[in-house]
Amino acid sequence: MINVSLNEIYSETYKALRSVNIEWSLAKDCANKAKWLAQHDQYFLGSILKTAELYQNQDITISINENTNTKPLSSALMALLLIEYVSANKITWKGYIDSSKFLLAGMGIIAKEQQINLILENEKRDIIAFTKDQKLFINSCFDINVPTYSFLKIYDFIEKKNIKYTFLKKNKNVIKVNDKCWERLKLMAFETYVEESKTSKSRAGY
Amino acid sequence: MKFQSNQNNLDYNHSIRPPSIVMKLDRLGSFHQTRLSFTRRLIDDLKYQKSKIEIHQWDIDNSGIGSAIIKTTFKNEILSLIIFCHSINAEERTDRVIAEKWDMTFSLFRGIPNKNELNKLSKNLKIQESGRHNSKQLTLSRANKSQRIFKKVLNDLSIGKQPSDKLINDVGYLVRTTAVYGNGKFGIEDFSKTNGHIFLDKPFQAEMLTVYLIRYFSIELINFLAKKKGGKKSVTLSKHLAKHLGVGNATGLGMAPFLINHQELIHQWIYNRETALSRVFSIKQLDKKTQNRIINYIHQAFKYSLQWKVDDQLQSNKIDALNLDLKKILQNKKLTKLLNLDYPLKNLFDFYKNDINLETQEILNSVFIEPFPELFEDLMNNMGAVEKKSVLIGYNVSDILEIIKDNYKWALEIDTTKSDENYCFWYTSQTKLEPRLGITKKDVGIEKQLPFDIAHQIKQTVDILQKLPSNMTAAEVMINQPKLRNIIKRIITNKSMPYSEIQNNLIGKDMKPIDILRCKLSFFGASKFDPKSDLWTRITLFQGAPLPNELWKIKVNDWLFPNLKNVK
Repeated sequence: MINVSLNEIYSETYKALRSVNIEWSLAKDCANKAKWLAQHDQYFLGSILKTAELYQNQDITISINENTNTKPLSSALMALLLIEYVSANKITWKGYIDSSKFLLAGMGIIAKEQQINLILENEKRDIIAFTKDQKLFINSCFDINVPTYSFLKIYDFIEKKNIKYTFLKKNKNVIKVNDKCWERLKLMAFETYVEESKTSKSRAGY
Repeated sequence: MKFQSNQNNLDYNHSIRPPSIVMKLDRLGSFHQTRLSFTRRLIDDLKYQKSKIEIHQWDIDNSGIGSAIIKTTFKNEILSLIIFCHSINAEERTDRVIAEKWDMTFSLFRGIPNKNELNKLSKNLKIQESGRHNSKQLTLSRANKSQRIFKKVLNDLSIGKQPSDKLINDVGYLVRTTAVYGNGKFGIEDFSKTNGHIFLDKPFQAEMLTVYLIRYFSIELINFLAKKKGGKKSVTLSKHLAKHLGVGNATGLGMAPFLINHQELIHQWIYNRETALSRVFSIKQLDKKTQNRIINYIHQAFKYSLQWKVDDQLQSNKIDALNLDLKKILQNKKLTKLLNLDYPLKNLFDFYKNDINLETQEILNSVFIEPFPELFEDLMNNMGAVEKKSVLIGYNVSDILEIIKDNYKWALEIDTTKSDENYCFWYTSQTKLEPRLGITKKDVGIEKQLPFDIAHQIKQTVDILQKLPSNMTAAEVMINQPKLRNIIKRIITNKSMPYSEIQNNLIGKDMKPIDILRCKLSFFGASKFDPKSDLWTRITLFQGAPLPNELWKIKVNDWLFPNLKNVK
């Protein structure tokens, strides 16, 4: 395991996703969500690497309309956009997502920044998570790492039933990640760098 | 000086300069240090916190090799600068922005490191970016001795002689840093972890403390080595020369994208600076003492500009023009009369603004702000910003087009089809992992360019948005066309933060990155900008600043435009 900073998580994730031609804004959003997950003691690194691979193989989609069980919406890339869209257009979105984890990160971010109350439900309309008073609460009975058919909407009133929800707190400890996975991410990030030309070097202090 | 800050003497009705005036590169590239700059704030905070700076450990040998720890004690905490001095061959000391070996390496550390931590630091600090650093480290830095001055000063002191004022002034520092990393770089502590910390929770505070302690170390080191070399014959550097020594810094393109990537922060800095200026322009009358103080600062600025020597022809011409402008202002018999009018500072500025160059306009603005820190204490304590990750909902296509029309006129006026407006591109260097500029028609790598073509993106966005229903939400536009998300986020941010966008084409032939660097460095508190090309510059930080044993003094933070009396 290796200790990493939040800044490193952001910058390496961002660049790694750019290396597989993921749009700037989606790469940035994903990097912010990775940072959020790390801050809240959730695994993120393997999912980032997997997302890059699935994206390259076209096994995930970034379309909110054309997602399927076999080609779900990438929550790592699209969660923030989807949440903003649902919030701005006041609609209920339903569809297949590859995992709930990054959607939860997006909900956590938007709850804090824009104080929007959102609710995420599964196919049976069980509550997976909701935001309230700038905080994210999750139902720990569900696995947030697997593909699901989900419903996402804003809400005014929520019936919590008899379920215990966990409030995800920020972790103050040092963030540790798998060193081999980290090295893979860094190698991908390296692909976005350019060899300096003579013209670039001239006058740049060499 | 006591300023009458009662309501009768202020009206706050003077509007602040609009972004269309301020956010142009040639003006941003003319900024000077102000009372809001971070070096100045650090001195205020060190004094306010009653901090005590002392040598904690000194294991440096007669040739200047070894390690040392400088301890800064606050009420509830210790921050220490860890120092390693290395032996490097003359040919390894490139003395330029880009280097791989250094005379000295540093890290600001929370607390005092134990033996094990110190051992790890000794292995990792010397290799800087290639090392792995830990979360107790707040910064990472390195410096080289100035080849122009270090040996000469050492020799002089060792034989009991003070170096000449001219020598000290010409260079202005004993050591020059080439980077001061903070905020999580290479594994060190994230800035966000300092949230709520009484001393560190301010932009670049840890970096400024690092540089201030490096300056102290450089003076202690030269005195120590002089004594070792000259024994009883030696003397220590006189106080007035020691104070005139800052820390040099060589800054290149690595710093430039910061102002583009951190919209909220750059808005906050410039908006606060402009607000401070508008507040001093709102002062109705100045008493005689304050008038004299303003005149004295203009004199200081004049002396400073006379002692500001650079090789770069363009900057040299600007300095010559600055000298002439300041001389003209000081020799004008109307100066006192102008300061006796109502709204004296505003009147003085308006009287001259069409006849003086940008360099002079901005040095005057620094002068005007200087005597009145009590008028903008709230601004000085509010130079940070929260950067939003989400895009504010509530905007539709029509709103976005309206903001573009109001705030991005400058971008719409650029003919982005011209080759001169597509002259260069920004990318990250494989060698140094830092931003660089490539020439579009010459260099490879444009497919990996950084998205700094803001004007181009604005035009493309307008073309797309004009074809969409005006009531479509921005969120819907972005989810259908994610490639627009970056620029729509910028536009929405700019609506409430109008000083968040540099109003020039950042890939155009006329663009000079040095202007971006200077803007940022002025907020750091840099002086003596010394451009070495339009891509990198040398500067001095903390020149004229109080020494650690003077921090308790009443007028401790009065050191704008440092100059030496005996230098012509």
